[in-house]
Amino acid sequence: MHAYQGIAFRTAYVIARNASDAEDAAQDGFVKAWRALGRFREGAPFRPWLLRIVANEASNRRRSAGRRAGLALRAATEEPSGGAAPSPEAALLSAEQRATLLAAVEGLPDEQRDVVALRYFLGLSEAEVAETLGIPQGTVKSRTARALERLRETYD
Amino acid sequence: MTELERALVAVGSELEFPQSRDAWPRIADRLQRRRWVRPAVFALVVGALALGIALAVPPARSAILKFFHIGSVTVERVETLPSAQTRPFATGLGPAQPSPTLQLPAGLSATKYYKGPGMAAALIRYRGKQLLYVRLRGDQMGFMKKFVSPTTHVEEARIGEFGLWFDGSPHVLSWEFGNVHTRLAGNALVWLDRGVTYRLEGPLGKGQMLALGRQITR
Repeated sequence: MHAYQGIAFRTAYVIARNASDAEDAAQDGFVKAWRALGRFREGAPFRPWLLRIVANEASNRRRSAGRRAGLALRAATEEPSGGAAPSPEAALLSAEQRATLLAAVEGLPDEQRDVVALRYFLGLSEAEVAETLGIPQGTVKSRTARALERLRETYD
Repeated sequence: MTELERALVAVGSELEFPQSRDAWPRIADRLQRRRWVRPAVFALVVGALALGIALAVPPARSAILKFFHIGSVTVERVETLPSAQTRPFATGLGPAQPSPTLQLPAGLSATKYYKGPGMAAALIRYRGKQLLYVRLRGDQMGFMKKFVSPTTHVEEARIGEFGLWFDGSPHVLSWEFGNVHTRLAGNALVWLDRGVTYRLEGPLGKGQMLALGRQITR
């Protein structure tokens, strides 16, 4: 399970939007997954199964915590200066465009925001997003489409 | 992917994720804590000496062994075993290695060797039987789990710092070397010695298995 620590924390963080809650959610997720290993369907992919447990923990924390901080962009990339260069994808956008788009994502309803964050920010496949959030793949598609439609208003 | 989707990926690549501490020690601690709940309560009542006596009494032993860790191996007693099939010993251990991955006692030879992060294994012949010998670094809680049914016999084995012997009904072995693998397992001896977890599995009785185990960690 060591190998999944990073993605488990990031999944919990984009959902809970709080580092401490994300750590707790990931930790609880690992413990619950370990204890439920006997119910794991052999041959099924392990990562989404684990992430579903973690995401569930993170959602519970988000529900009980009320207003949350938003996700933030790395400060260093706003002023690239000799050190770490922005990623090739990030170089396509100005710092202002990135900030505007992130704010628009943060303004989406949670159910759309989670899909967008997992799919595009964490790079999960559509099937993994569905498994992680415990929703059908068709719902992932429709939520993604609705979210992109709203975001396009900001982006264009 | 549309331009907007590419832009979202770009935003994702520049997100600030807080540094998370290595959660594993705390996870291991939480799993470990459970290990001591029953023995600790028990010890408060009857003391450490009585624990040894209790281990010799099947009902008490069953209660104590409901959830137990030995190094990298967790043992959990369940009412109903998870579904699993009989599979070859080497299932899930990855490709056989061209050179030995662990040392064997003199006079013992392996037909195949395997290796993974923190794990080395060999298929060995002993007294005409094929056995699986696995050595796990001792602190990898979450690596291997054994589910035992009420009809699986589990008892303490006097080897290393602590050992357990499994026979009777097969138990289910679940382990993670890359992916999670599950199979039915038969007689097995698991023990902890100097921070390393050892496991022998195969169609031998307790006495023969213990003799081999003691050769390995002599």
